[in-house]
Amino acid sequence: MEPKKFTLRIQRNEKKANGSLETKWQEFPVEGTDTTTILTLLESVKGYQDGSLTFRQSCRSAICGSCAMKIGDRTRLACKTHIGSVVDEGGVVSISPQRNQPVLKDLVVDIGPFFAKVHQIKPYLQDGPDSDTKVGASAYEQVNNVTQCIMCGSCYSDCTMSEVSSDYLGPAALAKAFRFVSDPREGRKTERLKALSEDKGMWSCVRCVQCVATCPKDVKPMEAIVKLRTRGMNKGFMDGVGQRHAMAFHEDIQKTGDLNEFTLLMRSVGIVGTLAEMGVAFHLMKKGKIPSPFPHKAQGIEELRSIYRDLEANPLDVETKAEEVVPE
Amino acid sequence: MSLEFAYYPGCAAKQVQKEAASSAEAVADILGISLKPMPRATCCGAVSLRESKPAFSLAVAARILSEAEAMGHDLCTICNTCLQTLSHANYRFKNEPDILDGINAVLKKSGVRPYQASIKVHHLLWVITEQVDPELLKKKIVKPLNGMNVAPFYGCHSQRPEEIFDGRKGEKADQLDQLIHALGGQSVHYDGKDKCCGFHVMLSDKEEMRTMVGENCLDAKNSGAEIMISPCTLCDMAMGAYQKPAESVVGKSINLPEMNFAQLLGVALGVDHGTLGMDRLHVDPSAALKKRNV
Repeated sequence: MEPKKFTLRIQRNEKKANGSLETKWQEFPVEGTDTTTILTLLESVKGYQDGSLTFRQSCRSAICGSCAMKIGDRTRLACKTHIGSVVDEGGVVSISPQRNQPVLKDLVVDIGPFFAKVHQIKPYLQDGPDSDTKVGASAYEQVNNVTQCIMCGSCYSDCTMSEVSSDYLGPAALAKAFRFVSDPREGRKTERLKALSEDKGMWSCVRCVQCVATCPKDVKPMEAIVKLRTRGMNKGFMDGVGQRHAMAFHEDIQKTGDLNEFTLLMRSVGIVGTLAEMGVAFHLMKKGKIPSPFPHKAQGIEELRSIYRDLEANPLDVETKAEEVVPE
Repeated sequence: MSLEFAYYPGCAAKQVQKEAASSAEAVADILGISLKPMPRATCCGAVSLRESKPAFSLAVAARILSEAEAMGHDLCTICNTCLQTLSHANYRFKNEPDILDGINAVLKKSGVRPYQASIKVHHLLWVITEQVDPELLKKKIVKPLNGMNVAPFYGCHSQRPEEIFDGRKGEKADQLDQLIHALGGQSVHYDGKDKCCGFHVMLSDKEEMRTMVGENCLDAKNSGAEIMISPCTLCDMAMGAYQKPAESVVGKSINLPEMNFAQLLGVALGVDHGTLGMDRLHVDPSAALKKRNV
């Protein structure tokens, strides 16, 4: 392949004496082929153009997770990203530090807050049985994706909820939690599900699927979050807006077929919550945006009631396809 | 080429966002797209049903897909979340034969026609940008946008996860941009265009939801947007109806008219504003349209 000219538009960040951050953008011309990695180009900038450019790197093989940074519109590993796949028509790509974490210098962030979230879910086995536990293939298969996590922080950087909430656990920590909730050797699964059901835990995921799209190791954090929610509800941790909201759907589908948006609010947030929403309700009413209490009725609803009853009596595992794991 | 689809507007378009449905139906009619009603179709369940009752959610989706299949058509929707939910189920049915068999056995027991996994799920926006002859669209435009700066807000559930959307571009989705250009407008590039509207945490994480709405709208506005459009009835609800409540959370006035893509397309195609439900928008777009002589 012929070498081409590209431009790296790099965000330079410098901490001032008063603690504030000075940010500016600087362009560096570089040369490479379409498959040259961003990391190689950053190294060439540091080696031949500006030795003060600061970034993290180590393994060069997408396994240490050090070089995650925002490249183009998404957070990626610099060592795994080919320049040709991210530049615009003019051959330019913007590079900036990971989001949602404090920036220390140039492309380096303080990864402390990210790891604090991971530690919050207790990323180790607790109180397993004293005797041997057989771990079957199906138990392993269901955590196949989440065990590939290299803690690079890319998902946390692109998480749309983490952007607006510093308290939210975030995708990587929740994916890790799923790995322990699914481990046959783990002794505190129910306790974990209870903790994850609390405010700013698994129910605060907005399900934008950005973490699934961003993850360089196919961890699919949001898929793990969906499964955690199912397990939490199955264990009876129903005391939350998210849970009550989720439970409304199967009731309505059997009743009329369509979601009853009128009563959904009441069922999700209760009377006090509904009163609190009244300001917004009045605002919506002005434009006729209050749903009818009598939604459209679909034909053949009795079929759905029958299917529902059948599945309650004869459960079908479509999610994990794994054996029920004991002990609790 | 005949463009006939089993039409699945989704719950929001039948209730609070009915202007999206009337607009979609009007523009489809003008562009020669026939949208056939699905009398048996229910709510898709969204990810909520997948969380509470995973197997039931697949059965509900299979029953909807099967109705479209029996009609002999692919399915076409105007809601991103319905699009994602039905595409996700369809992807599983096409790639996991054991799941399809298991769910079909359940359907049969309750007298529902089994699903053969033969159809595709489309968004009306994709049909318009991929299947309608661009020359026909061009010919039907009576009020071009005259260079109006329009912010595309894609919404998460028509882009991700990429593998379920039949090889569409995901991260590099450009259907709204294509449409804006076709109508004579300029599409605005801004960071928030593929972010989340917050609809699904509207009740559980209220402040966070409003911050998402506020930040995305401000981002678009500061990038020069005169109007914002989305292909999703739920994004419309969030970015439009909740824009005012969001203003008090982000502490700034925004005042960016937001509408469904079918409404702006309808304006360009000369559909009357009553059919398009323009009076139901929370931020009045009249001034923005007038400024560009639209």
